[in-house]
Amino acid sequence: MKSRARAVAVVGTLAVLHFLLKLGLGVGQAAPDLLTLALLIGARELSMGAGAGVGFFFGLLEDSFSVLAFGGSAVAMTLVGAAGSRTRDLFVGDSLVFLVSYLFFGKWVRDLLHWLVVGEGVREPFTDAVLVQAPIAAIYLAVVGVAAVAVTGAWWDTAR
Amino acid sequence: MPPYVTEEEERGPRRQILATLFFLLLAVIARILPPGPQQQVASIFRASVLRPFVLVQEGLADSRVHAETTEDLQARLDSIESLVTNQRTLVEENARLRDMLELGPRLGAEYVPASLIRPGTAMSQSMFLLDVGLDRGVSEDATVLTGAGLLGVVRTTRKTSSIGMDWTHPEFRASAMTLDGSVYGLVLVERGEFRESDRLRLDGVPFHQELDDGAVIVTSGLGGVHPRGIPIGVVEGEAETETGTGWRRSYWLRPLVQPGRATHVLVLVGRPSGDLSTEWAYPSAEGNR
Repeated sequence: MKSRARAVAVVGTLAVLHFLLKLGLGVGQAAPDLLTLALLIGARELSMGAGAGVGFFFGLLEDSFSVLAFGGSAVAMTLVGAAGSRTRDLFVGDSLVFLVSYLFFGKWVRDLLHWLVVGEGVREPFTDAVLVQAPIAAIYLAVVGVAAVAVTGAWWDTAR
Repeated sequence: MPPYVTEEEERGPRRQILATLFFLLLAVIARILPPGPQQQVASIFRASVLRPFVLVQEGLADSRVHAETTEDLQARLDSIESLVTNQRTLVEENARLRDMLELGPRLGAEYVPASLIRPGTAMSQSMFLLDVGLDRGVSEDATVLTGAGLLGVVRTTRKTSSIGMDWTHPEFRASAMTLDGSVYGLVLVERGEFRESDRLRLDGVPFHQELDDGAVIVTSGLGGVHPRGIPIGVVEGEAETETGTGWRRSYWLRPLVQPGRATHVLVLVGRPSGDLSTEWAYPSAEGNR
């Protein structure tokens, strides 16, 4: 229960930091996608339905400033939240390799789903969005995620 | 023999799947909703959960403005005062002549100053938030300008805020012409392989008309979205994309407004139908022939 409370606090802090950096301070692409990181960490603590619910809520928040692609992040993050919680049944997840892979592929799949959902008129070219920008963003998120986990201790308690 | 499970344990996974499908269905509905209801939902989030973050950015923008030196502001004020003083006689003379010709007062454009902030979230790279809305007369499709020319257009408005898109957005279009009105076309964004390689293009120029580099392109007023005469860009060579068809020409444009630098803008209100070309200092270049 204690580890769950810590994970919830980490998820909340990361979500607030995400919007503070991107929206409040206008850092934009230079800041990592802390909202997806929060979802991926939180999903490991939640059931599949709750993971999907948190993903849906986070996605709608992210979509609030997207006029032509509204709902794209909501669909992508709902699926990632549900899938993230399912990984708990498939992997123990107590290794660094798993943590890095989970964060990397979680973010990359989120960007891929988002690209697929938003529609042809709005999205950027596949090569740029999915094969160049998404992996770079995923590596960035994985590095920040490992640092966040190391500092806060969230995740390892759950994995054990 | 299958392991024994209680009814509650059997129901658990099914409930989770149903909950997941429920949220997924809600997300899909959010995606396919018409733009009106979508923006109603978005505005609820912007006005509640995300409001503190918007206020932080507004506060930072204000601080940046206040940080400008007093001398700089005083110099600008002096320049404006001298300009206004010089123009006063012209205005009086113009009014007197119009009176003699029994013409009504000239309908000038009405502007609302606004602060522009960038959301920085996914799929909002070409979008911006303005701190003016319906209460200041801002309507959907209102033109957004900077001192250099056309920045973009308002997409949705709420009571005290608006969301717009700049010319880097893939759906941006502007009916355009040369300064003298001899060549018409449509300005749009040519997407590159990467965002940095996105370029403005003047499309649909008749094949028998040519433009030289340096020709200034302004809005034509056709289509009723942007009034006539707002600078958009300067011709920078012919694009090869459309010439292959043999029916029309396309030209690359160097945009006059850099969206990333815009922090304070003007929003046109009241649907001005006149020609705004007299209100701009165009780059000194004539290139159409």
